[in-house]
Amino acid sequence: MAAEVLVFNLLSAVAIVAAAAMITMRNPIHSAIALVVTFVNVAAIFVMLRAEFLAAVQIIVYTGAVLVLILFVLMLVNQDDLPEFHGAKPLQQVFGFGLGIVLLIEIGAAILTRTVVAEPGPWDEQGIAQAGGHIQSIGQVLYSGYVLPIQATAFVLLLATIGALFLGRPDEDEEPTPTRRPVATISLAHTRGADDAPLPQLQAANVKHEAGDRDLIMARDADEFTSIPGEDDEQKERSE
Amino acid sequence: MSELMPEHFMFLSAALFIIGMVGVLTRNNVLVIFMCVELMLTAVNISFVGFAWEFNQLTGQIFALFVIAIAAAEAVIGLGIIMALTRQRDTVDINQVRELRQ
Amino acid sequence: MDANLLSSYIFAVVVLNVLLGLMAYMTYFERKVMAAMQDRVGPNRTGPVGLLQPIADGIKLLTKEDIIPKHADRRIFLLAPLLSFVLAPVAAAVIPFGDSINVFGHEVNLYVADINVAALYFLAIGSMGVYGIILGGYASANRYSLLGGLRSAAQVISYEIILGLSLIGVFILSGSLSLVEIVSQQSETLNLGPLQLPNWFILSQPLAFVIFLIAAVAETNRAPFDLPEAETELIGGFHTEYSGFRFSFFFLAEYISMIIISLFAATIFLGGTDGPIRDGVWWLAIKAAIFLFFYIWLRTTVPRFRYDQLMGLAWKVLLPLVLINILLTGFIRLWGLGML
Repeated sequence: MAAEVLVFNLLSAVAIVAAAAMITMRNPIHSAIALVVTFVNVAAIFVMLRAEFLAAVQIIVYTGAVLVLILFVLMLVNQDDLPEFHGAKPLQQVFGFGLGIVLLIEIGAAILTRTVVAEPGPWDEQGIAQAGGHIQSIGQVLYSGYVLPIQATAFVLLLATIGALFLGRPDEDEEPTPTRRPVATISLAHTRGADDAPLPQLQAANVKHEAGDRDLIMARDADEFTSIPGEDDEQKERSE
Repeated sequence: MSELMPEHFMFLSAALFIIGMVGVLTRNNVLVIFMCVELMLTAVNISFVGFAWEFNQLTGQIFALFVIAIAAAEAVIGLGIIMALTRQRDTVDINQVRELRQ
Repeated sequence: MDANLLSSYIFAVVVLNVLLGLMAYMTYFERKVMAAMQDRVGPNRTGPVGLLQPIADGIKLLTKEDIIPKHADRRIFLLAPLLSFVLAPVAAAVIPFGDSINVFGHEVNLYVADINVAALYFLAIGSMGVYGIILGGYASANRYSLLGGLRSAAQVISYEIILGLSLIGVFILSGSLSLVEIVSQQSETLNLGPLQLPNWFILSQPLAFVIFLIAAVAETNRAPFDLPEAETELIGGFHTEYSGFRFSFFFLAEYISMIIISLFAATIFLGGTDGPIRDGVWWLAIKAAIFLFFYIWLRTTVPRFRYDQLMGLAWKVLLPLVLINILLTGFIRLWGLGML
């Protein structure tokens, strides 16, 4: 039995580390890969908890379809690594992490002091073997008591398909109105896909004109600054 | 502990859920927030399956199955909305899409 | 350790090594067969009848310079071919190569694992394989690789659906997802009037078999569905920027997937190790070889599909057909059970 606990601890440790990596990684595609790792470990944990069908469904649907879809969208709308993405306000970060730690302590206390009381059901290992296997037992329970949720889920999936078709239609002729970024940045460090030819001399007048009335910061690296100067003032201006 | 106790999977579920929640609160990229929501749904699934294992019932697994199906549908619509939004606004920063009117 | 577990591990190592050896000689087999169909000779210089050609290819690919594009995302660039190559042979863990043999007094099962969701496991590993393609295309820092990777991935996930749905008819008729169970059901006899035929699912599910075959060819990105990686289109698609042994990972992963899908098709539709004279692994090998020959035959004969024709085929033709097949199979089964 100790082997089971050891394997479970190992799998959950990897899942938690991967999830933490997902929320802290800068590149969203690295985050998606970390999430894939988490999901595969969760599927392995499902197998340990005697839910093999659900483990296979988790991998086929979640990692094999939903995350692939997210990766597709990430690659189609991925933007260059501009500095403003690292400008998360420190108050936001502290509040988020603080809330997380508080909640973790609370839930930990609840788990350790309370117990869940429930009637044990008939589907232990013998019961499942009697029904003919795991799939057969799930089939028995699913199609005798849960037919209405199945129909409702099928309807929801149909709606989702129609919605996707509708949302994915190209617009008739609308120019995208680009968001006016609060800071005009010119990236001097080449992003992926650019060639290595030397930059032409930047005309100071052109650059100033391009920036308009916004602050102009020339940064070589995404880490050079993390705050968006003047944003609070700009918001006040806009709301007036 | 020498046996697999319910506390094991309850802690795992809580930890993953809280990590997802912290991700939603702190990240600025719309797609990363979306991935954190999926992580929260998976954490809830672990809870369902764990309780089904503990009490020898299959109801938890069936609930988790429905959660996965609905999460897939929600992912499709959510990503459709995100794509339509980014096609229009040309940004994935969630702080830039704060106003209802342009 | 439990004797069963130990024998499973040892058998797994044996299967893996045999698969890797077969994969290398699959390239030789393909080149010889293609040559014969195109009225050429094929490799005949290295070794007798060219038998050392795969070894020569391997040495060449391993000693090439390892080029990584300057602006590529380095970690993902290294990860993508590994994902493809590692996930490909893992699906062979559920294929039954026979019943069980007696070795030194122990019963050794001729399969690595007999899980009761074996076919779903196979589909799950197949659906994880799409990550190697997407990440390979993305990490190459090349717009054309990215496009090729996305197209390839969209093709793979569309045909994966068709692959899975075409198997549902077989599951309805057999009542189980376990491959060992499906093979044992196919060794019974089917009485069709005066004929005594083996109960192979190709006879009870011909439409599903054809659809499975088409989906299997598209799933492994083989001709005629290989537009995303054809040389005249996007140069190499997602593996343009890879060279040396990383390219060989992608290349060999494709061949291993071909072999494994052929083994799987032989197991589900043609009865696996079932044969007229004596049941055994050789029958499985012959049936898988027929499928592999069919793959190569398609490659040399049929022209390439355009990408929109390919996707239209999946969604507008094969999907309705496979759903009709499921419906019909369900009705026939209920009628057979007397429940209509």
